[in-house]
Amino acid sequence: MVSLARKNLFHDRVRFAVALLGIQLAVVLMTLQIGFFLKFMTNASVLIDHIEADIWITAKNLKNFDFGLPFSEQKLYEARRIPGVLWAEKFLMGFSYWKMPDGGQETIQVIGFNPETRIGAPWDIVEGDLDEVKYFTQIFIDEADRERLGFPRVGDEVEIIGQRARIAGITRGAKSFVGSPFVFTSFKNALKLSFIPPGQTVYILVKVAPGYTVQEVKEHLARTLTGVDVYTKREFSWKSRRYWLLVTGAGIALLSTALLGLLVGTVIVGQTIYASTMEHLKEFGTLKAIGASNADLYRILIAQALIMAVIGYATGMLLARAFLNVARRAGLEAYLPLEVLAGIFGLTLLMCIGASILSIYKVTKLDPALVFRS
Amino acid sequence: MSAPWLVLDRVSKVYGDGASAVVAVREVSMELQGGRFVLLMGPSGSGKTTLLMLMGCLLKPTRGRLFLFEHEVSALDERTLPFLRRRYIGFVFQTFNLFPALTAMENVELALNLKGINGREAQRRALALLARVGLRDRLHFLPRDLSGGEKQRVALARALAGDPPILLADEPTGMLDSRTGRQIVELLADLARVEGRLVFMVTHDQRVRDLADDILFMEDGSLVARESAGDLRELVSRREGR
Repeated sequence: MVSLARKNLFHDRVRFAVALLGIQLAVVLMTLQIGFFLKFMTNASVLIDHIEADIWITAKNLKNFDFGLPFSEQKLYEARRIPGVLWAEKFLMGFSYWKMPDGGQETIQVIGFNPETRIGAPWDIVEGDLDEVKYFTQIFIDEADRERLGFPRVGDEVEIIGQRARIAGITRGAKSFVGSPFVFTSFKNALKLSFIPPGQTVYILVKVAPGYTVQEVKEHLARTLTGVDVYTKREFSWKSRRYWLLVTGAGIALLSTALLGLLVGTVIVGQTIYASTMEHLKEFGTLKAIGASNADLYRILIAQALIMAVIGYATGMLLARAFLNVARRAGLEAYLPLEVLAGIFGLTLLMCIGASILSIYKVTKLDPALVFRS
Repeated sequence: MSAPWLVLDRVSKVYGDGASAVVAVREVSMELQGGRFVLLMGPSGSGKTTLLMLMGCLLKPTRGRLFLFEHEVSALDERTLPFLRRRYIGFVFQTFNLFPALTAMENVELALNLKGINGREAQRRALALLARVGLRDRLHFLPRDLSGGEKQRVALARALAGDPPILLADEPTGMLDSRTGRQIVELLADLARVEGRLVFMVTHDQRVRDLADDILFMEDGSLVARESAGDLRELVSRREGR
C-alpha cells in the first residue's frame, strides 16, 4: 500500500525535523536519567550483590550498607553453631582518610576480608595478586577511583591515617556508591587502616548449607542472635538501594527528570502531529470521500507516529551514546542493559502513539463538506 | 428498463435544530440510471453540494429515503457508508484534492489500495487509468508540477480507480480555463455514454450544457426544473434556425 503516512512526513521536512528533535530530546533525557538511576541503584548494593553470601548479619537498625556499624565478633562464633550454616565469615567496612599527593585528604571506605577464603574479596582483578594483601598493609584499589586518589600505580606507597600502605593491585567494577573509594585489604590491615576497634566486626556473611532454605536459616539466626539484624542477600541489597532511592530522594530526582523528558517529548510530538493533521485535514476528508474508513485514517496517524518513534529512537540513542561517552570521561557511569533499552523504545512508541490521540479525535469528527470547499 | 441505480425519495437534509435549523435540501425526489450524464445547476447556496454529498453517502438524509443499488443508505449505520463509497462512487472535486506528497501514479494507487487492490496489480491499473486520461508521460510528477487540467485528469483517474459505476463531480471545471474545462467535461460525458456509467456533475458552467443528457435546476434546496437532452437539442436547433 502507498504509505501516505511516510510520504506526508518526509514531504514536510521542517515539521518532521521538529518532531524528531522532540523525540530525540525525550529519548536522550530518558536514557541518561534511567541509565544513571540504574547505575546509582546497582552501586548502592554493588558489594552485597557480588559477594556470594546468602545472609548478611548487621548491627541493629542499620540504614544501609555504607553506614555499617561495628558489633562484637562473638556473634560470628554464635552464628557458626546454627544448623544450616555452611560457613560464616566476618567482613569489615570502615571509613578512613587517604592522604593525597597535594597534602589534602580523601575519605575512603576500607574493606577487610579474609584473604585465605577470599570471601568478600574484589571479584574482578585488573592487575596484581590478591594474595599480596596477606602481607603488611598491602591494598587493592578500583581503577574507577585512581583519578580521585591522585593516580597511584601498583607498587606506589601511600598514607592512610598516618599508616604506610602499598598498592598491590587494581580492581574493576567495585566503585562505591557514596563516592568514597573502596580500599580492599585483609582483616588485619583493615584494622590498622581504619577506625574499627579490635574484636569487632561490621558484617557477618553466612552461606547456607545444602538441604536448608535461606529463609529458615535466616529465621533461626534472627531468633538466636541478639542485638543484630539478619537479612537475606536480596533483602539487604534492596534495603540499601531503597534508602538512597526513597529516603534521600536522590533516585526520585533522577526518575523525575526522566519523566519530565517523556512529558516534554509527548507535548512536542503531539503538537507536531496535531499541526500536521490540521494542515492535512482536507486530505483526510478526501480519503474519507474516496472510501477510507475512520480505521484507515487512524492507521495513517498511528503509522506516522510509529515512523517518528523508530527514527527518533534510533537517532536519539546515537545522541545519548555520545552524551554517555562524555559523562563516562567525567566519571559518571550509566547502567543500560538490553531490556532497559527495549523498555525505553516501548516508552517512545507509547509517547508517539499517545501524542496522536488528539489528532485521531480530530479526524473522527471531520466534516465531510470540507472536501468540497475551495 | 433496468432498475434505477440511485433513488431519492422525498429526501431532506436539515443542518442544526430548533430556530437555527437550516434546510439545505428539501424533499428532493429523483431516479437516476447508468449511461446518463446529468448536470445539476443552480445559484450558490441552493443546496447542490449538500445533495451531492447525500448521493455520495458522505451525509445521511434527515428525512426521506435514499437507495443506492437497492441499499437503503438512509437506514445504514455510519460504518457501512465507506464500504458503499468504495464500491459504487468516484468523486471529482473542484480543487482536485490530490495528495501533494504523492506522485500522480501514487495518488491513483492509493485509491486502488483503499479498494483492496495492492501491489503490482494496483500499479498496472493505475498506469492504465492515467494512460486513459492522457497522462502516461506524467506518472511520476508531483501535483505541484502539473497544470490545472493535468491535476483534474489525475483526479479523474483516481475517481475511476476500482471502476465505480457512479461518478460525482463537484464543479470540476471551476479552476480550469474554458478549453481545458470542456475537455474534462467531454471526458466525463464519454464515461457516461461509452462506458455506461452514471455521471452526475454540479456546475455553473453554461457552456457545457450541450454535452448533458439531463439538466436539473435547484433553488432553495428544491429541484425546480428538469431538461432532457431532447429538449436541449430542440432548443439549440430552434435558436440556430432563427
